Amino acid sequence: MVGLSLGEQHFIQGGISQDLRCDGRKRLTFRPIHVETGVIPQANGSARVRMGATDVIASVKAELGKPSFLQPNKGKVSIHIDCSSTAEPAFEGRGGDELSSELSNALQSCLLGGKSGEGAGIDLSSLIVIEGKICWDLYIDGLVVSSDGNLLDALGAAIKAALSNTGIPRVQVAVGESSDDQPEVDVSDEEFLQFDTSGIPVIVTLTKVGRHYIVDATSEEESQMSSAISFSVNRQGHICGITKRGGAGMDPSIILDMVSVAKHVSEQLINKLDSEIASAEAEDQE
Amino acid sequence: MRGLQLPLSQTQKVRLQNALNHLESLSSKVNSDASVTVADSISVNHEDGVLKGHGTADIQGDLVATLCGVVERVNKLVYVRALRSRYKPEVGDIVIGRVVEVSQKRWRLEINYSQDAVLMLSSMNMPDGVQRRRTAVDELNMRSIFEEKDVVCAEVRGFQHDGLHLQARSQKYGKLNRGQLLTVPPYLVKRQKQHYHHLEQFGVDLILGCNGFIWVGEHIEAKDDMVEDQVSHPNKNSASLEELEKNYTALETRKYICRAANAIRVLSTLGFNMTLEIIKGVIDLSLSQNLDIHDMLGSEFFVLVAEKEAERRSSSKKKR
Repeated sequence: MVGLSLGEQHFIQGGISQDLRCDGRKRLTFRPIHVETGVIPQANGSARVRMGATDVIASVKAELGKPSFLQPNKGKVSIHIDCSSTAEPAFEGRGGDELSSELSNALQSCLLGGKSGEGAGIDLSSLIVIEGKICWDLYIDGLVVSSDGNLLDALGAAIKAALSNTGIPRVQVAVGESSDDQPEVDVSDEEFLQFDTSGIPVIVTLTKVGRHYIVDATSEEESQMSSAISFSVNRQGHICGITKRGGAGMDPSIILDMVSVAKHVSEQLINKLDSEIASAEAEDQE
Repeated sequence: MRGLQLPLSQTQKVRLQNALNHLESLSSKVNSDASVTVADSISVNHEDGVLKGHGTADIQGDLVATLCGVVERVNKLVYVRALRSRYKPEVGDIVIGRVVEVSQKRWRLEINYSQDAVLMLSSMNMPDGVQRRRTAVDELNMRSIFEEKDVVCAEVRGFQHDGLHLQARSQKYGKLNRGQLLTVPPYLVKRQKQHYHHLEQFGVDLILGCNGFIWVGEHIEAKDDMVEDQVSHPNKNSASLEELEKNYTALETRKYICRAANAIRVLSTLGFNMTLEIIKGVIDLSLSQNLDIHDMLGSEFFVLVAEKEAERRSSSKKKR
């Protein structure tokens, strides 16, 4: 990340306070989002999302596994993010590990809810095959190819798109002799069930610079932030997860204000994202 | 035109392709027999005693190109000039650099070249304007002139034993504030008579650095702003939010700055040369279309700019 001179920083802060950012956007305008699905044919589902110069890829792999003892009627999902060293020279070797784990944790809390699986954006009970014995394990992997700010939003959008592109193979369960035996399953290669993604939330990050918040910050604007809060909001306008980054503390009234701004912005984002995903799927089919 | 990421509709793709084909047809008159790719042999009269320059190799008596580019011949020297190469500094180039280090009696600037350029303390005008020998006190106060990460405009003085030297002796060179720095591929900025442009109707300063760094900012009169900096600099660190807010660039000027910046971004993605005329044309096009500043980065404007450039070039060709 190249540093910015005082004059440039002043210019960026001035732009944000006057509602005219460096590329002409308003404070609550997103950069154009470009979605491509099916970029990784070997995965069950994949998507690539570009927001300006930020470029991320998400892939979903489904494998059969045993459900956890405490939740026998729910499948398992694990999210892991990797920051590629092509994104930033600082990410080479172990440099990107901190950011990767931060993003993975934030995404897990936003999409998967708490430890008990409560309030998850992804419906885990739809992943069960045989209760207590066999369930689908979803491994969601994200890769940051190019970083220009707002990674969390882009990854959230990519995961949503990848999940809507995911096809879970149909499983035929052979009736076992006794209930203790491991039942035989026949995983179909042909038929796929589309994953239901209407309940999956999107993530909106509000970055506070000076007195105002902006949406979809570039990396230059992020360098000026005092703090940033990421909200994951679903279609019904419910908040599924909140993550705060940045060292500065905030008055609670500001957070409530940000919540309402995030709800308002997320409506537009969900509609935009859905239409982009639909057109990407249509193109994919061609 | 690399890395085009805009989602273009079918009609837009067709229009863009037409415009690009038109541009290609206009320029194909350039001596195409002079362009070579790697391992093409260069036709040379061996009896003349030819000097083999950059980008050539002597393989089994034949002169062969090692780069993709255009063959240039200067008297007895034959060399291949690549079309998309790294920035190559020449004496007298105006460049914009970012300070990476403050050393003994010099600043090191990053200018998108293979080495960092050096700006000597003696090549800078002193804040009080007096021509005098630089003392140790001056050296200790170097940070009050330029700090790390500052954006500086300077001129290439030449290559010395320890690297590339710059100078900033005139009033128009120096620290750049109140604006934004853009990066474009260096081969898009050709050497011209003027690199400083003041767009009067917009109140915007535009500096086209030959190294691909372009500065778009508020217009600042070329006066003794060094002295002003000395006074205002200690204030900046302790200024409260309200004072900073009063100091922000005016909204009208800011709009024009953003428009110019977006115009440059569009031209850079399309791969068109950066000249004042073309940039002004793009800004006027966006104003005449009444486009929102952010829409300038959308696909429709993109295609419009390509078409307009094709028109402009064909009309300028007809005039000749």
